[in-house]
Amino acid sequence: MKLKQREVDVAVIGGGPAGLAAGIKAKEEGAEHVLILERAEELGGLLPQCVHSGWGLLYFNEDLTGPEYGARFIEKANDTKVDSQLESMVIGLTPDREIRTASSKYGYSILKPKAVVLAMGCRERSRGALNIPGTRPGGVFTAGTAQRWVNIQGFIPGKRIVMLGSGDIGMIMARRLTLEGAKIELVAEILPYIGGLVRNQVQCLRDFNIPLLLEHTVTDIHGEERVEAVTVAAVDSNRNPIPGTEKKVECDSLLLSVGLIPENEVSLLAGVKLDPITGGPIVDEFRQTNVPGIFAAGNCTHVNDLVDNVSFESELAGASAAHFAAGEKLGKGKITLKAGRNIRYIVPQTITAERDVTLYMRVSEPEEMVRLKVGDIMTTKALRVVMPAEMQSIPLSLSQLSKLKEGTTELTVDVEPVKKREDKKDA
Amino acid sequence: MPKEETVICVACPLGCEVSLTIDDKGEVTKVTGYKCKEGEAYAIEEYRNPVRVLPATVRTIDSKHPLLPVRTSKPILKGLMLQGMHELAKVRVKPPVKIGQPLITNLLGTGADVITTWNLID
Repeated sequence: MKLKQREVDVAVIGGGPAGLAAGIKAKEEGAEHVLILERAEELGGLLPQCVHSGWGLLYFNEDLTGPEYGARFIEKANDTKVDSQLESMVIGLTPDREIRTASSKYGYSILKPKAVVLAMGCRERSRGALNIPGTRPGGVFTAGTAQRWVNIQGFIPGKRIVMLGSGDIGMIMARRLTLEGAKIELVAEILPYIGGLVRNQVQCLRDFNIPLLLEHTVTDIHGEERVEAVTVAAVDSNRNPIPGTEKKVECDSLLLSVGLIPENEVSLLAGVKLDPITGGPIVDEFRQTNVPGIFAAGNCTHVNDLVDNVSFESELAGASAAHFAAGEKLGKGKITLKAGRNIRYIVPQTITAERDVTLYMRVSEPEEMVRLKVGDIMTTKALRVVMPAEMQSIPLSLSQLSKLKEGTTELTVDVEPVKKREDKKDA
Repeated sequence: MPKEETVICVACPLGCEVSLTIDDKGEVTKVTGYKCKEGEAYAIEEYRNPVRVLPATVRTIDSKHPLLPVRTSKPILKGLMLQGMHELAKVRVKPPVKIGQPLITNLLGTGADVITTWNLID
């Protein structure tokens, strides 16, 4: 494809699940020319390397693998004539939506679309973010890097592996590496509960008798050229290692599955304001950022546990971008959502209260038998348990929102304990 | 002698550890530790028929992509997963291959096929 000066209505930065869903929806909502800019050689983002199943249960009502989920969106993008420019890295974005792209294939180019959707996804926290002491040998990798090697490039990072962190990618890679012949010595998790989903704890660790040490961390890395061992120690309630509990575990690799960070270098260039908790742009219910015409979608907004929710939210961003490009006025998010008791964050951060909206949120701490309460307008049914690893969503209808008092500027969401029936009897 | 088995329920994030008592005939006689009906049903089914989809990759030939992702067309007994991997290690695929194409039919007599999960077009 030859790059020439093109009229672009909606430009999408990133061709992963968020970018694909946003691009397709923008096209469906009437944007004539939608262009996805993608730095890799193919569309799909991380999906092709996520060969495990568990994708699409909400969106397609089917249990798909990552590649299959991605292929459906890529096919739809082709069918709906969403354009894409691959092997092109966005290196600049201005507040008036000028995109600068560098590519070894197409050279340097400038694009001025009517609307922009940020869909850069997220990246993994690495050793540098953890300050693990010890030597600096080869063999310390993130779980996602290992995933790319094992599932795309065709080699395993090591044969005896210790995993730090119990995020989903880490647990999934523990199973994958076991099936490919490596031995996972143990998984150490600093918190008293796992970082990922219970399903993965059971089907990735327990199925293969991989020891999971909760409230443990890696305190030292040994080896010169290559990792030879790591020291694992128990931690106290302040997450500090307990002296005397150290244990040296021989291994040739340490894999890290210790969290994901939304990728927003491009957003910052345009003056997009980030939420310090989510690490992603502050958005309204249209997924518009503080910069008019710049929208945000998917994991660069906040890190999701299910791709299905990425697709749903990105469709909102894509549709809004198409409407903005067509000159439609989007409502103003005049009500700010506040994270109340045991809520870590809520996306979107502001709403208009003029239409149906779904709030996505995470809790700070695991808690059993609770309800989610949105101001005085809505209380969910009792939930057996809420966990930080599992996102909660609350759909609010216009009729519920219309119960808000005129002039309301804040709406708080709380996790509220539910009294058990037995307790009531006792009382 | 009756024996004890434990199953962690995955029906919700609570992850209840459910204990099952199994008699000499292999029948479940007692289930404890679950907090809802769904958990009880899950634990019994998971004990009787612990099945999983096996996702993996196979090697390619004459392709710029060294691997192609695959999965079983339906869940197979979890105990057969490693054996299944040995079967997959024998497979070589040559592009073009379309998504959903079977590469192995009736893997290890499970009735599940191994199907591709990505289009291999070079």
